[in-house]
Amino acid sequence: MKITDACIYPYPCGNSSVRRMALEARSLGFDRLVAPDTTPGQFHGIEVLNGIIIRDTMVKDLITRVRRERDGKAVVSVQAGDNGFNRAAIGVKGVHILRGIQSADKTAFDHVAARMAADNQVAVDIDLSPLITGRGVTRQRAIHRYRDILVLERRFEFPITLSSYARSVLEMRAVREISGICSLIGMDTPDVERAFTGIDTITASPDPAVRVV
Amino acid sequence: MGARPPTLREKRRYILVSVEPSGEIIDRKDLYFAVCDATTSLWGDVTAAVISPAVIASDGQYVIIRCRRGSERELSIALSTITCCRDRSIALRIIAASGTIDTLRERIQGLKIPDNVTVSAPEYMIGEKLYRVHNCSGQKVDVIEKGFKNTNRLFLTREDLEEL
Repeated sequence: MKITDACIYPYPCGNSSVRRMALEARSLGFDRLVAPDTTPGQFHGIEVLNGIIIRDTMVKDLITRVRRERDGKAVVSVQAGDNGFNRAAIGVKGVHILRGIQSADKTAFDHVAARMAADNQVAVDIDLSPLITGRGVTRQRAIHRYRDILVLERRFEFPITLSSYARSVLEMRAVREISGICSLIGMDTPDVERAFTGIDTITASPDPAVRVV
Repeated sequence: MGARPPTLREKRRYILVSVEPSGEIIDRKDLYFAVCDATTSLWGDVTAAVISPAVIASDGQYVIIRCRRGSERELSIALSTITCCRDRSIALRIIAASGTIDTLRERIQGLKIPDNVTVSAPEYMIGEKLYRVHNCSGQKVDVIEKGFKNTNRLFLTREDLEEL
């Protein structure tokens, strides 16, 4: 089980190279990073996985895109939309993470979507950036949405991932600091540990429906 | 109000933090306002008054911040939400907490390592822009775009510079 930051943006999206972010991640207590559109590899003892984030697309295009990426080892994420889109996205084989749920519609992720996420082992991502950089209403809304999601998570037990969305080494936070930040949304230490290892859960090969004895 | 006898004084805790990026000189007063702002924004006026944060001392990139005993957790969460100080992007990395300032001062002496500033070339061309090395510590190299206005800072490693 590796402690993973499920989304960072190294250079050119951000101002820090992937090596520098890996170096910083090691000192902050991480074992693995997911970086969109980055060559996967091992930097300073940190495993960097390639991530693909699909946003602003129709379900049909989403299926085509995911099918194209299925053979690779990339972590495929989909930006959350309305409720219908989210249910459809969760049902697509090959989708690993549903992101941006805090900025989606209030009814975008309900109990049906939660049950589907649990059945299909699709994680819901918790974006820590509104909790860290947000102030006032922005942060309050994010806390409210995450608390709401965690109620569903405790009931249906779908995977959760934690992402800093850091574009700089200055936006990265230590594992202990993230545990503190997650306590704001009602996550205790076992919840945070489970969320840090959520990538292992979603990228593990599923148990086969039929087992040859 | 006169000084109270030791048994009646409020118990304090001191938190040692490192200010990133290293090499930046941060004014203690500006940092105090950033800490107060973050604490008040996160916990509200009442809890901020209970925490009563204060920047006690600074030594290079290391800063000692005081709080009331029992409120270290709240303060450390608030510190992790600080992203800028007077329009400069910073991050505070919590290193240790202690009941005395002296212990943290000793800790700072142990943490100080001489910077290795041997870089093969002082200026580098990155994406059609010229950058000069600003700070260099171990594997970490910070470069700043040359110019007067809107100069970007990039956080790289020695390996990145070797590949250029």
